[in-house]
Amino acid sequence: MKRFSVAFLAVFVFFAMSSAAGAAEAVKIGLQAPVTGQWAYEGQMAKQSVEVALQMIAEEGGILGGKEIELVVADDASNPKDSALAAQRLVSQKVAAVIGTYGSSVNEPAADIYEQNKMVDIAYGSTAVKLTMAKERKYFFRTCGRDDAQGQFFAQYAVEVMGAKRIAIMHDNTTFAKGVAEEAKNALKAYVDAGKAELVYYDAIAPGEKDFSPSITKLREAKPDVWYFTGYYPEAGLLVRQGRDAGVTCPFVGGNAAINSDFVKIAGLEYAKGSLLTQEPMPSDLDTPKSKRFLELYRSNYRDIPSSPWPVYAADAAFALAWAIDKAGSTDSDAIASVLRNQMEGCTGVTGAIAFTERGDRKGVPYKMYVVDGEGNIVLYKP
Amino acid sequence: MGVFLEQLVNGLTIGSFYALVALGYSMVYGVMKLINFAHGDLFALGSYVGYAVLVYGSCIITRTFGVWAGMAIAMACAFLLVGAAGLAMERIAYRPVTAAGRLPLVVSALGVSIFLENAIMAIWGPRYQAYPATVVPSVSWNIMGLRVTAMQSFILLFSLFLMAMLYYIVQKTRFGAAIRATALDREMATMLGVDVDVVIRFIFFLGPALGGIAGIMNGMYYRQISFAMGWNYGLKAFTATILGGIGNIPAAMVGGLLLGILEMLGAAYISSAWKDVFTFLVLILVLIVRPTGLVGERIAEKV
Repeated sequence: MKRFSVAFLAVFVFFAMSSAAGAAEAVKIGLQAPVTGQWAYEGQMAKQSVEVALQMIAEEGGILGGKEIELVVADDASNPKDSALAAQRLVSQKVAAVIGTYGSSVNEPAADIYEQNKMVDIAYGSTAVKLTMAKERKYFFRTCGRDDAQGQFFAQYAVEVMGAKRIAIMHDNTTFAKGVAEEAKNALKAYVDAGKAELVYYDAIAPGEKDFSPSITKLREAKPDVWYFTGYYPEAGLLVRQGRDAGVTCPFVGGNAAINSDFVKIAGLEYAKGSLLTQEPMPSDLDTPKSKRFLELYRSNYRDIPSSPWPVYAADAAFALAWAIDKAGSTDSDAIASVLRNQMEGCTGVTGAIAFTERGDRKGVPYKMYVVDGEGNIVLYKP
Repeated sequence: MGVFLEQLVNGLTIGSFYALVALGYSMVYGVMKLINFAHGDLFALGSYVGYAVLVYGSCIITRTFGVWAGMAIAMACAFLLVGAAGLAMERIAYRPVTAAGRLPLVVSALGVSIFLENAIMAIWGPRYQAYPATVVPSVSWNIMGLRVTAMQSFILLFSLFLMAMLYYIVQKTRFGAAIRATALDREMATMLGVDVDVVIRFIFFLGPALGGIAGIMNGMYYRQISFAMGWNYGLKAFTATILGGIGNIPAAMVGGLLLGILEMLGAAYISSAWKDVFTFLVLILVLIVRPTGLVGERIAEKV
């Protein structure tokens, strides 16, 4: 009996030590997200998504032969100043790599800091073209698409599918919304030159405002056939309601940050229904085994699935990093970056296969046209 | 012409919000010589209290008493609760530091502002909330091609009514005389038997309560509220206060309405991206010509 308990104790101590050693060697990954500030809803959903992704990675046996991933969260408060601080904090904590962040304008200072400190950074919501195209960054990647694809998609769709002649484009002067609007305008130029379409309105509104009646009056006087708003949903909801009240009758098309379930709540169903939006597929339209498992876990942890398409790209960034670290066999930044560029065949995330271009952009992110139906659900649009 | 009138109506509506919030700034400044930075967040709190009453309690309230009565109940709740929050704020954050001078008071006010904003976020969450369409009256009239909603007229008329009441209390009643005396010279008023503490408490109840009313009306008009909305309105209302002349009730009113109209016209005829530049340009010009604000000549008597 005594011998047995000694043996038992020895086994127990062995396990205790090995698990302590395992915990000490957990790979640390940083998440920079807007947990507070104006995009707090996005940041918190991103954090939850990454936690679910890590749970799935742990279920599949962890990385580097069974190690766990420990998440270090840094809040950038939705503004560029705190973004730099958050980036420095993650650098000083010596995380292996970083996921983040959401807003394009917020990401710029952080991306520079990660670059200087040779740390891989995978953005999940920063779609501004210039992040990858203005200067070459060795350690910057993104799992989301790029603005120009969405803008081009709108221009083509509006003219060729909807048959619109007079087109109105409205943005809100943020890097993101302006980027989409500029790209839509550039893509429209070919149609304008061919005499097939006309850009009758192109202007910005001020984000954070609540009364857009002056801009709406101008837009109404321009008599557009279609009205594209590339900004965010709090303004989009107000715009569509104030627009309809003021007598704007043309179809309203939102960019991918403009329309979600909260848009319907803010606009009110009778105003929201029929609104279109250009965007990546929503979490609820993802139907691979991996995404099903992800949504199931997310729902059981947080009761609901993400209400916008962005948080799942944060989860995909986690999957990509786990894959890259595992494949590289180390947490060396150059090795991780090299895997991300060249050896991604077989890596899947919630939104499908993940691979990156030489510049760090995601390969092949599809856009689709969605519509708000009579019950306020956002469903694929079939013209 | 139609466009101009449309913008004028919109400007008056948004100006009513500014004016009501500006009154709170102005009253507190008159008596305490304190710029109460937390005032904008009390406005946001009013929006959220109204939202809570209308959404949680009110499906029943609105169904039994109708839309307008439901609105009245929610407004009464917002008035009382935000007023109470104002009282608590004075007791907890301002009274202990009053003796230390004006700078600690301002810092304390900033602290209260940050506290309130984050408390709202912690209680109601970081997502935007929306007032359900069913709890807001949706009547509108078409007057010669100009669309005016019942809500717009209600906001303007009720704000004017509240301001008139306040003006009456301060100018025509005995207690109003005590308020004016306190604003003029606090020590002298104390010596003459005015209970200055009661005056201060009254100011800290009524100012925030009016802000709370503005908050709930704002929520009902735009139907979209966020925990961070207070800062923007606080800043605009503060501008309105300065534009009219700080420490004087009609001035806050004039400043608020004027600022609303300027903003809307600036956005309509210049550019919406430049409208704040335009508004502040007007403010600077006014301050150069009249440093005490548009209606600020009665500098001797500030309430």
